[in-house]
Amino acid sequence: MNEPVDLRLRPLMSANEGWGRDSGREVHRALVEFVESRPGTLVFRVSLNGVKRVDISFASETIVELARRYRGKKGFCFTDLNDPDMEENWAAAAERAKQPLMTWTGGKARVMGPQPSQGIADAFRFAMTKGEARASDYAASVKEMSITNASTKFKQLWENGYLLRRETAAESGGVEFVYVPIR
Amino acid sequence: MTDAIVRLLSLFNQLDYCTRRVILDFECEDSDLLGYLNRVGFFDHLSRRVEVLPARPDFSSAILHRGKNKGVVEIARIDKDARDGKLLERLTGAIESACSNRSDAPALVGAAWTIFAELIDNVFSHSQTPIDGYAALQVYKKGNCLKVAVSDSGLGLLETLRPTLRTEHPKLAQLSDMELLVEVFRVGISRHGTSRGCGLKGSAAKAIKFHADLDVRLPLVRVLLVPGKQGYAANTALCYRNLPLIWGTHLCFTFQLD
Repeated sequence: MNEPVDLRLRPLMSANEGWGRDSGREVHRALVEFVESRPGTLVFRVSLNGVKRVDISFASETIVELARRYRGKKGFCFTDLNDPDMEENWAAAAERAKQPLMTWTGGKARVMGPQPSQGIADAFRFAMTKGEARASDYAASVKEMSITNASTKFKQLWENGYLLRRETAAESGGVEFVYVPIR
Repeated sequence: MTDAIVRLLSLFNQLDYCTRRVILDFECEDSDLLGYLNRVGFFDHLSRRVEVLPARPDFSSAILHRGKNKGVVEIARIDKDARDGKLLERLTGAIESACSNRSDAPALVGAAWTIFAELIDNVFSHSQTPIDGYAALQVYKKGNCLKVAVSDSGLGLLETLRPTLRTEHPKLAQLSDMELLVEVFRVGISRHGTSRGCGLKGSAAKAIKFHADLDVRLPLVRVLLVPGKQGYAANTALCYRNLPLIWGTHLCFTFQLD
């Protein structure tokens, strides 16, 4: 997949604190411009360097809404979210919007917002562990798992915003999807 | 006491706005109450048309002594016509200053910031207030508690929600005021649909971590919410109905800091 691009939130904000829906919508416009100006980029790594605080309303209107808008086509993740209080607000906004957001710390990922349901959680862990996953690989790793069933699970993860996917040619000559974490 | 002061401030300014003649009689010029009100800036925000007896203070001790006492924080004006970008910083700066010795100060300040941010944003977004709102906080060192209060003079939280419940949240339309208020803070409700309404819910979640009570005064109703194991719930709430009319929504979280 194309190389991820760093997206710094602070320069798009008028102050170091993100407060309220109205200011969130203004920043959202700038975020969309940033994304649209990079049409080939699939993953944007969001840096919160310089952002002191955001409230839940601002979080809802900015990165959460951005991720929701581009769900399935592009992915957004945090790379330096170290403030537990701020993480709570991003998570609350993501939960409300039913839009998962990944945050990476020291090579480990956390899902903010809705967690993968029980039926797809294991497939999610598989993809996150492997770095990329095919339905056939997952089916082979789980007893009595059909490729169709595995494919359905990965498709759900992609549709719900937990993974991205790219199309490749299958050995059989058809299309096969490779599912990847948002990082 | 700070929450009561901002509610009274809103009430007096509302009465004045309705062209009622308002007289505040403190009976003696050097009353402690008058002095305290002056110190927190009450008279700075009270309409000039409101009469104060025996006399309005000659000068504002809030302006004179602002920021000098960690235990006293002046009332902050929420200008309905212009958002003050520094308002949150001033409010939370006072908490930082007053609670700097606490190991949980960052979490406390963060929680208070989010609560003020969401409540004050609601004043701009939803209240339709014709006059200014007010924000206040008070740190009771001996009582180990912190009060965070926001008052507006708009339509009232439930009055702005109820018209849309039938279409956006039909199951909630039959709830009583108390039950509906609990749902606002427990699950989050917005007149704009199910994807919004997380601000008050998020504020409540922050407050509950500090075992905060929530006092909500609405035009004719007052509801007191106490945090339990499942957060705020109707079966642990108190509701007072048929109260004297005061416009708007008046919220106060009382954090327990033990």
